Amino acid sequence: MKFLDHLEEWLIASLMGAATIVTFIAVLHRYLSGFAIPGVQEALIKINTSWAQELTIYMFVWMAKFGAAYGVRTGIHVGVDVLINKLPPARRNQFVIFGLLAGALFTGIVGTLGASFVWDIAHTDQTSADLEIPMWWVYLAVPLGSYLMCFRFLQVTWAFIKTGELPKHDHSHVEGLDDEVKA
Amino acid sequence: MNAAIIFVLLLALMLTGMPISISLGLTVLGFLFTMTTVPIESVALKLFTGIEKFEIMAIPFFILAGNFLTHGGVARRMINFAASMVGHWHGGLALAGVMACALFAAVSGSSPATVVAIGSIIMPAMVRQGYPKGFGAGVITTSGALGILIPPSIVMVMYSVSTNTSVGQLFMAGVVPGLLLAFLLGLTTWFLARKHNYPRLPKASWAERWVAFRKSAWGLLLIVIVMGGIYSGMFTPTEAAAVAAVYAFVVAVFVYKDMTLKKVPKVLLDSAAMSAMLLYIITNAMLFSFLMTSENIPQAMAGWILGKGFGVISFLLVVNVLLLLAGNVMEPSSIVLIMAPILFPVAMKLGIDPVHFGIIMVVNMEVGMCHPPVGLNLYVASGITKMGITELTIAVMPWLLTMLGFLLLITYVPFISTWLPQLIYK
Repeated sequence: MKFLDHLEEWLIASLMGAATIVTFIAVLHRYLSGFAIPGVQEALIKINTSWAQELTIYMFVWMAKFGAAYGVRTGIHVGVDVLINKLPPARRNQFVIFGLLAGALFTGIVGTLGASFVWDIAHTDQTSADLEIPMWWVYLAVPLGSYLMCFRFLQVTWAFIKTGELPKHDHSHVEGLDDEVKA
Repeated sequence: MNAAIIFVLLLALMLTGMPISISLGLTVLGFLFTMTTVPIESVALKLFTGIEKFEIMAIPFFILAGNFLTHGGVARRMINFAASMVGHWHGGLALAGVMACALFAAVSGSSPATVVAIGSIIMPAMVRQGYPKGFGAGVITTSGALGILIPPSIVMVMYSVSTNTSVGQLFMAGVVPGLLLAFLLGLTTWFLARKHNYPRLPKASWAERWVAFRKSAWGLLLIVIVMGGIYSGMFTPTEAAAVAAVYAFVVAVFVYKDMTLKKVPKVLLDSAAMSAMLLYIITNAMLFSFLMTSENIPQAMAGWILGKGFGVISFLLVVNVLLLLAGNVMEPSSIVLIMAPILFPVAMKLGIDPVHFGIIMVVNMEVGMCHPPVGLNLYVASGITKMGITELTIAVMPWLLTMLGFLLLITYVPFISTWLPQLIYK
C-alpha cells in the first residue's frame, strides 16, 4: 500500500516537472534556431520539436487522472458542504458516506467505460498525430486512473467509518508560509 | 422539461456535499442512462478528449509558477519596492499592500496565492506598526482578489476554455479593470487611513526607491516576460506559463535562494495535485456542457430569455445576481465552468462582447472570494491573522462595497474592458 502511495506521488510530481521542461525546451529551441550562429543553427534546425506540444498534453492527461486519485486520498476535491455542515453529526456523516460512495460509483463506471473504449481502440491501429504512439497507450490513463480513484474513494470511506476522520486538504494553508511569518 | 430535471438533479447532488466534479459527472451519467438515446460511447470519447487542448495546459503551468513564487522572496521584495513608492501617504503600509498585491497579481494567476504571498508578510508588519488587525486583513483580502483580474489568471483560462474566447485577448482586457480596481481599493484605504490617522512611513528618497526597484527587478521582469511574450506573439499563453514556471524556479532557487532544491519535489507534488483537481472539474464540466448542448438547453434558454423581452441591461443584472449567489456556495473555477456555457450563448445573442462578458464573470468571482461562506481569500486571511471569519467579514466591508460598485461600473461600461484588447488586436 505504501508502495502504491509513493508510486502515485512520484508519478504525478515527475510528470509535472517533465512537462514543464519539455515545453520550455521546445520554446527555447524555436528561438535559438532563429539565431544565425554558424554550426549551431543547422544542428538545431535538424532537431524536430513539433511533438513537444502533444507530449505535454499526454503527460498532463496522465498527471490529471492519477493526480485526481491522489486528491481523493488527500481530500483536495471541493464540494458544497455549507448545508450538510449545519446538520447534526450523525445525519451529516450519512451524507458524507453517501458522497464518498457516489464518488466510487462514478469513477467505477467511468473506469469500466474507459476500459471497454481502450479495448476497442487497442484493436485498431490508431496512432497519435505527431508522436505516432498507439492511441490506446495514451487513453489507458482513463481506466487506470479512474479505477485507482474508485479504490481511493472506497479506502477513504472505510477509514471514515472506522475512525470518523476525513482527509482534509487545507486550501488556506500554503507551503512556505510558516517560515515567512517567523522571519 | 429536460433542463429542469438536469438542474434539479445537479443541485440535489451538489448539496449532499460530494465533490462538484463528481456531482457533474453523475448528473450526466444519470441522465444519459435513463432519459436519452445519446450513445454512451460518445460520453467515453468525451472523457478522453475533454482536456486534450494545449490552451488548458496553461493552468498547471501557472499553478506551478505561482507555487514557486509564493516562497517568500519575490513577494517581500515587491512589498519593499511598493512601500518605498507609496509608503509616505496616509495608510502607507496598507497602500503598499494594495500596490504589492497588484504587482504580484501580474505574475500570479490565483487570488488566494496572492493573499498568502503578500498578506503573510505585510499583515504582521502592519500590526507591529500599530494598525488594527482588521484593517490589514481587510485591505489584503480584497486586494488579493486582483490575482484573478490582473493577468495572468487561471479563471480567465477556464472561461476561455469553456467559451472558445482568446486567452490573450482576455488577459489584455483584464489590465485596465485590474489597475482601476487597484486604484479604487487604494483610494478606499487612503480615505479610511486619513480618517483614523493611521501611521505613515517616512518618505523614501529616489536613491532608496531605485535600490528597492533593482532588488525586486527579478520578480518584475516576469511581468514583462509573460505579458510582453503573449502580446508580441512570442509565446502562446501556455508557453508563457511554462516559461514563467521555469523562470520562477530559477529565481526562487538560484537567484533569491529562498528555496532549497530539496523542496522542489514537494512543490511539484502540490502543484500537480491542485492542477489535477482543477483538470478533473474541467473534464466533468466538459461532459456536462456536452450534455447541455446535445439537449439544446443553452439555445432554448437564450430563446426564452429573448422572448421575455430581456434587454442587455436587465440580462446583465440577472447574470450578476446569479453569479454572486453562486459565489456563496462554490469556488470560482466550478462556477465559471458550469455557468459560462449556459450564459454565454444568451450573451452572444444579445450582442455582448465575449471578452467583456468574461471580465464581468471574473469580477463577480472576485467578489465571491471575499465574503463568507466560501470566500477562499477570507479563509487564507483568517489563517494568517488568526481572526474569526465573522470578525473578518466586518473588516472587509468597506473594500467589499467598493468592489460591488466597481462591479456595476464594469458591467455597464464595456469600454473599460474592451478598449485595450481592441487597441492591440486590431
